[in-house]
Amino acid sequence: MSIKIKLYKYYLVIEKRYEASIFYNVLITLIAVAASFIIAGLIFEILGFSSIQIYGMIVNTFTSLGLMHETLLRSTPLILAALGLSIAFRMNFWNIGAEGQLYMGAFATTGVVLLHVYYGLIHPEFLLLVMLIVSFIVGSAWCLFPAFLKTKLGANEIITTLMMNYIAILFVNYLIYGPWRDPQGYGFPLSVNFPAYARPSLPFMSRGMLMLLWSLITASLVFFMFRYTLPGFEIRIVGRNPEAAKYAGLNVSSTIMLGSFLSGGLSGIAGMITVTTLIGRLTPDVSPGYGYMAIIVAYLAGLNPLLIIPAGILFGGLLTAGDAMQYALSMPKTGAQVLQALIFLFTLLGEFVRRYGISIVRSVDSNGRS
Amino acid sequence: MVVAEASTIEAAITGAVAAGTIYLLAATGEVLTERSGILNLGLEGIMMMGASASFIFTLCFNHLAGIVASMIIGALMALLLAFFSVTLRLNQVVTGLALTMFGTGLSGFICAPEVRSSIVRTINPAVPEEVALLNQAPRLLEVPIPILKDLPIVGRAFFTHNLIVYASIIFAVSMWVLLFKTKWGLSIRSVGENPAMADALGVNVYRIRYLSTMIGGALGGLAGAYIFLGYQPFWVEQITRGRGFIALALVILAAWSPLRAILVAYLFGGVEAFQYRVPLLGLGAQTPQFVLMLPYAVTILTLIFLSFSKVKRRISAPAALGTPYTREE
Amino acid sequence: MSKNLFILKLHHHVKFHGPKPKINVILKYGERQVQDVEDNKKKETLVEMIGIVKRFPGVIANDNVDFTLMPGEVHALLGENGAGKTTLMNILYGLYRPDAGMIKIEGKTVSISSPSRAIKLGIGMVHQNFRLIPTHTVAENVILNSPNTGFFINWQKIYDELKKQISKYGWRINPEARVWQLSAGEKQQVEILKLLYRGSRILIFDEPTSVLTPQESRMLFTTMRKMAEEGKGVVLITHKLEEALSVSDRVTVMRKGKVVLVKSTSMTTREELALAMIGRQEITQLPSQGSSKPSVPILSIRNLVVEGDKEEIAVNDASFDIYKGEILGIAGVSGNGQVELAEAIARIRKIKSGKILLEGRDVSSYSPRQMYENGVAYIPAEGARTGVVSDLTVMENMILKCYRYPPYSDKLLIKWREAAKLANMLVEKYQIVAPSINAKVKTLSGGNVQRLVLARELLGNPLTSPRLIIAVYPTSGLDIGAAEYVRTNLIEMRNEGAGILLISEDLDELLRMSNRIAVMYGGRIVGVFEGSQASKEVIGMLMARGAG
Repeated sequence: MSIKIKLYKYYLVIEKRYEASIFYNVLITLIAVAASFIIAGLIFEILGFSSIQIYGMIVNTFTSLGLMHETLLRSTPLILAALGLSIAFRMNFWNIGAEGQLYMGAFATTGVVLLHVYYGLIHPEFLLLVMLIVSFIVGSAWCLFPAFLKTKLGANEIITTLMMNYIAILFVNYLIYGPWRDPQGYGFPLSVNFPAYARPSLPFMSRGMLMLLWSLITASLVFFMFRYTLPGFEIRIVGRNPEAAKYAGLNVSSTIMLGSFLSGGLSGIAGMITVTTLIGRLTPDVSPGYGYMAIIVAYLAGLNPLLIIPAGILFGGLLTAGDAMQYALSMPKTGAQVLQALIFLFTLLGEFVRRYGISIVRSVDSNGRS
Repeated sequence: MVVAEASTIEAAITGAVAAGTIYLLAATGEVLTERSGILNLGLEGIMMMGASASFIFTLCFNHLAGIVASMIIGALMALLLAFFSVTLRLNQVVTGLALTMFGTGLSGFICAPEVRSSIVRTINPAVPEEVALLNQAPRLLEVPIPILKDLPIVGRAFFTHNLIVYASIIFAVSMWVLLFKTKWGLSIRSVGENPAMADALGVNVYRIRYLSTMIGGALGGLAGAYIFLGYQPFWVEQITRGRGFIALALVILAAWSPLRAILVAYLFGGVEAFQYRVPLLGLGAQTPQFVLMLPYAVTILTLIFLSFSKVKRRISAPAALGTPYTREE
Repeated sequence: MSKNLFILKLHHHVKFHGPKPKINVILKYGERQVQDVEDNKKKETLVEMIGIVKRFPGVIANDNVDFTLMPGEVHALLGENGAGKTTLMNILYGLYRPDAGMIKIEGKTVSISSPSRAIKLGIGMVHQNFRLIPTHTVAENVILNSPNTGFFINWQKIYDELKKQISKYGWRINPEARVWQLSAGEKQQVEILKLLYRGSRILIFDEPTSVLTPQESRMLFTTMRKMAEEGKGVVLITHKLEEALSVSDRVTVMRKGKVVLVKSTSMTTREELALAMIGRQEITQLPSQGSSKPSVPILSIRNLVVEGDKEEIAVNDASFDIYKGEILGIAGVSGNGQVELAEAIARIRKIKSGKILLEGRDVSSYSPRQMYENGVAYIPAEGARTGVVSDLTVMENMILKCYRYPPYSDKLLIKWREAAKLANMLVEKYQIVAPSINAKVKTLSGGNVQRLVLARELLGNPLTSPRLIIAVYPTSGLDIGAAEYVRTNLIEMRNEGAGILLISEDLDELLRMSNRIAVMYGGRIVGVFEGSQASKEVIGMLMARGAG
């Protein structure tokens, strides 16, 4: 099946294709990103901002060492949440709830820290490990509930996961304005500062590098899981063809539950990273929308765990640049969000191009000569 | 005492209608869109953009301009969604999310005070800067309907609102007439159920899906305008607060009927209005967050309720909802 | 006790086969006998299709076909499955464009580019599977996009009109009822109403009785006659001789894409039609073996009742056995419970009552995985859709069932090296044409996908090769070469001692391959034949009507 559109001497041929080469895939993604930069530049220009300055600041984010450090920090929650989403989306489980799962991970982490600070529970040496486990479990619980509703009752997970986001954010808000507010904090809605040993660090490595390493390890684990493990294989089967999965003797529901457990858990860890590494305390706006941006990151990377790292770093950079623009150009902070959403839209367009393959062919006469 | 109670009930219903109108407008549009087989998850973003457009154009000119602009922007955003999902046949869930993110981001951007002020003053230089910088616009006035407003209880509750509230009821009823009493409506519903069959009988599936999505988008834009001009007195970022997504759940609860949507929308309007009444009752003053969670929690409960097999059997989504249509040779 | 399951409908068999039918006219393959009916010459021809050619990859579905339809006649278009009847009518209805040929409607040459164009020309078709919207009312289905309705629909007026039409034909449907509430026969009436409401004068029925009860069929024939009396032209596509004889004025017989006979029904005989349909064809018998040995059956089905997707009884009280080294063919018009039967045995579908015994063990409550572990292979219908995950690679699809067991994995990790070894071996053994074992399955041709499914299923599990193979329409949609390959492999497995349940719509295939053939009709097993004794006519009759 192909569509031919004649343009002067050439044909624009749109054809269904099965597989594009990796080179072609990456090329399309790069073109999509470039196109969204151009369109965003136009929009900003119309609204009275200098797109040259904006591009300059974005480039600067990736060239200046100090900003790169900030970028790496901010990309980590994005990468972790996106890795979680890549698991859910591969199962065709539309987990839009990474934001809420991240907030719940942040909540759990803070809970562990407060237990330690206020009640002296948990030995400092185990604190990080306990935070890691607890944030994973709480984050995954926040995802398992919608997954349960989906597999047992057939309730639409898109809406339930979304609603759970709002609830999680309000819940964290309640804690921070209420019982968890720092008594010595002059009434600001902030928790106590986390002690230094509750914030991951290594003596010979900057926090940014440590976080990059952490992202790399997690991404490799997810990659390994998809590639080499039974559950990973089953997740891929269930997402692609649930009917064939049933024929092959798989239990589709329990696979979805397992995938959701991992998906929510990774977002929970993203929440832990946010409060421990980036902020150092619980605040009402833990996340500037990492959970939503992670959806774009996951799609930009084509749900490939390893490609999620560069995609996440790009978005971390955009966030950093967005802050810089806010100060230097007094541009609203949602500017970065406009750019990110445009990247999303163009990535989807790219998916169409990928699926159908558009080529331009010189028109050929009936004898086969051009 | 009796009088006081009656007025409390009156006030509660009035609040429910005022809040419910947001849902009614959004859900009425979404019912049409989904009846044609398109799932518009971009509704939240469309409402956000509708609210922004109404803000800017009301500042520039007047309410009418604001309202018209919100509907146009809503339809345009929906056009984008239709292009992606009808013509390019991309996944409607992902496309809708992308649209919501875009609408949310752009709305926050153009309505940030400095940007807004420069846009407004470019369009209409006569607007003083301090007005454009203010996070407020003149509100729509209430237009009580004579005679009807004096009916006991329902009079004040239903007939002392602004014009958009009345229009929303008219829209919902006309949408019902359109869907169930006209030839077009039959075609729209058939396209949502079985596009291949409708196509075989000469129905233009693409045109119907485009139009239904765009009209749905226009109503979504209007819903956004209503939040800002008629319901909430001042501008905040994220002004829709997930109401677009709640409206999606309402459409299911309304079983894709605009008439039932009226009832369901006011029910949810009641939940929302309740939030503002709780502090007055002296409850939850310290913990407003739990009260604010109500609409979201109720939405989840609604979806659970709808999933029970007895209910599910009675309500069925348009069979082709969310599936792109390709004509096969 | 299983003996009584093999009771043949002997009287039937004898009646039809004993005294050989006298056949005076010997038809050679492809020869045409055209007898014009003088009466019809006077009237203007309603439809004239001249020299229609339609090719599909690998087959010529219509090879220079002529067809005429007169007003006021019921014209039976008779032929076996795959003879090209439906293709011809799909061309008339605008679903296919012919590669060559001409169509005239009432003498005017027309080009029918789409069904909606056909409808405008007064051509309507009732398809085998109804094209109705179940959640809509009868009236809504009927008037959809009809030019006869105003913008605002006056439902009351339409209900009245429809009721008049309905009572005219002696039907009992309520125009306000939702279509899902109706029986198959009533749904068909809605389809007819749809056509009549649009003023169709040419009505095509594609195997209309395949989903009807005998009573409903009789009613349909009355309707057809009535429509003919009103001056409409009715085409009845069928493979059932009886129908053609009982309702039509004229009959056109097609075989292998060609018209072999056109005659006035009153001037032909059942024998002549049967011979024209089937042709003089030797039925090759593969040596039957093993089935007479009374060994332990591999599979025993006892009083099995299974529900279909709509909670209707799809398989009704079915009982049979399959022995080692035997192919049991299941013949039947599709939709008579065959697929549900296979799915129930593979344990993908719940059973309502009855028992499934695998080598004497009750496996009625097993999971699909347990069946696989016990040596049951399953080749699903539409293998390309349900048998493979087309976004995964050839290698991944090869281990789709065995990946849980050593040597392909330990408890957690998949051993891709072993998987690759297996995939390479199977690709070579089954001559699957694929760019590599790492190519996605969606890049493979249909025949190769089916080979892949076959390779995987016939491999069995890592412990045993399959002892029972359930093959559902394993050759449908394949070209001749690929189909023959599948058959050879199944027969090989049979010879190695596996029991095979073969479900097919292709009677020739069943007769060639099966040791025994069971016929399913309306969810019941209505007859079981030894392969050597089975005759196509008898089986065909049973398939069409159930009990003789």
